Amino acid sequence: MSRLTASERLRRLLALLPWVATQEGPTVEEVCERFALETKDLLSDIALVSMVGVPPYSPGDLFDIVVEGGRVWVHMSPSFDRSFRLTPEEGLGLVAAGASLLAVPGADPDGPLARGIAKLAATLGVEADEALDVDLGYASAAVLGSLQRAGSERRRVRIDYYVHGRDEHTTREVDPYRVSADHGQWYLVGFDHLREEERLFRVDRVVAVEVLDATFEPPEEQRTLGLFEARDDDPRVVLEIEPEAAWVAEVYPVEAVEPGADGRLRVTLAISARPWLERLLLRLGPRARVVDVIGDDTLGGCAEAAARRVLARYES
Amino acid sequence: MPSSEKLERLLNLTAALLETPKPLSAAEIAQRVYGYPEEKMAFRRAFERDKDDLREMGIPLVMSEITGTDPPESGYRIPKDQYYLRDPGLEPDELAALQLAAATVRLDGIEGAGGLWKLGGRPSDDIAPGAGPDLAPIPVDARLVVLFDAVAERKPVTLTYNDVERTIDPYRLDFQRGRWYVSGYDHVREDERNYRIDRIDGAIETGERHAFKRPATGVPGARLEPWQLGEGEPHAARVVVDAHQAAIAVGEAGSDAVVEERADGSIVLELAVTNLDGFRSFVLGFLEHAEVLSPPELRDDIIEWLRALGGET
Repeated sequence: MSRLTASERLRRLLALLPWVATQEGPTVEEVCERFALETKDLLSDIALVSMVGVPPYSPGDLFDIVVEGGRVWVHMSPSFDRSFRLTPEEGLGLVAAGASLLAVPGADPDGPLARGIAKLAATLGVEADEALDVDLGYASAAVLGSLQRAGSERRRVRIDYYVHGRDEHTTREVDPYRVSADHGQWYLVGFDHLREEERLFRVDRVVAVEVLDATFEPPEEQRTLGLFEARDDDPRVVLEIEPEAAWVAEVYPVEAVEPGADGRLRVTLAISARPWLERLLLRLGPRARVVDVIGDDTLGGCAEAAARRVLARYES
Repeated sequence: MPSSEKLERLLNLTAALLETPKPLSAAEIAQRVYGYPEEKMAFRRAFERDKDDLREMGIPLVMSEITGTDPPESGYRIPKDQYYLRDPGLEPDELAALQLAAATVRLDGIEGAGGLWKLGGRPSDDIAPGAGPDLAPIPVDARLVVLFDAVAERKPVTLTYNDVERTIDPYRLDFQRGRWYVSGYDHVREDERNYRIDRIDGAIETGERHAFKRPATGVPGARLEPWQLGEGEPHAARVVVDAHQAAIAVGEAGSDAVVEERADGSIVLELAVTNLDGFRSFVLGFLEHAEVLSPPELRDDIIEWLRALGGET
């Protein structure tokens, strides 16, 4: 006997009966495959439905569903010859999944998916682009398309990549394992031949892609990667920040937060590279004070130096 | 109780309530619908559970007064217009595209298969090459389903946000920067507002369906650029960004913000600034590769900010 609950079986039957009713006697195998059922479970559900009907349950009030010659026939099941409407969860699932793919740069705004979503949304009472929008993040359609194509063909790519933390442009060869969107950004996971390790790249910082002839085999298991993982020997900075800049502790991966005087916070952060620290300190401006830099003496005074460089641009 | 016996009863109940010309009272259901125990308390318990199960599945079980009863008596039925799927009339290629989408985008905790079955599709069809699984995992919380239903059925919602209880006509949902937002008319603030769904406190109560109209002009989604977070009149600020950072700037500000592309590859953006901190943070993120051109007060603000950092030249 099936381990599903009565509700789960009911849900499946309310989809199965209308579908069988519109077909010309589908085979038992066909029905089982479509609705992910074991043959014995389908047969017991059919036996059960043939006992069901509407009051007063005289012979003409019972549903007529039979299996003959390995085929399933629904001759009469007036209540269940049409599908039960989509639940809000099912509607949301399909519309949001569709809207997500439509948001992928390069998607055809007039293609079958867009038309399908519009029709489906209309029956749910919403206009697709008015009521629900999914933005997976910015990426150039050409870059994203090339990376996805190269990934599916298992071809190596050469990319121009802007390393934000170091404020430098690099050219490197990468085996593109996977492209995906997460938390509003598109990422490429692949083997970086420059660093000789698996890395995570932000697609919006890939300036250009060239698909090469070399091919690769993706590994069986892929590691979960972070954009920046602090190492023990990375330098650290200790900042004292004003209450109005407390967002730093939420937005940046701080390693320690301690209360300071007058509502200030004392935070410790790992430094990935000098430009990263410069950006942080310029953004914080007078709302932060560098208490200490550990592990790299050249970083002392880096905020002043960066401020002078930017000011020079304004004063030239 | 074996699940088959219960399934048979649920099917009988659903069919009876769909086909009945007038609402059926609990007594009539006990008498006429096959499969219920005869003993009164046992019937009550079974019927209450069945009602919950059907409602949980989304089957619209409606309770109303039975006309011609005195004293007035209430009964149950399932209105056909609310029960049956309105056939969207999908062409095979449209259905196939939806199947691919459901197979590619993972909405955490949402079962997509049931919806595809009802539309005549097959949830597990082969996935096209290049569109591997988990292209984009999207977080979903149960309240998102409630809000989607409220948007579709135009039901006002009551919820707590920032410790304040609000009643909102929800117009639209947006997924941006990894988060879901709901936009709508806030009856307490008497204005259109956006709310981050993960910051809503506790459960959401919904009102009657078809209780409001969406504005005919369309509803703008959540505005989330850091320089747009404030209130008040926006300043139109122009910022030049050097060529090698131009793509990143367009990614952050959107291509609509580009007002000039210079011969050397640098670009000029025009941003509607209502939040000075957010604007400063955006511009200084480019270090010396960007410069505020106008208006003078925003340019001066950046200069002063940098001087305060000890950047006197």
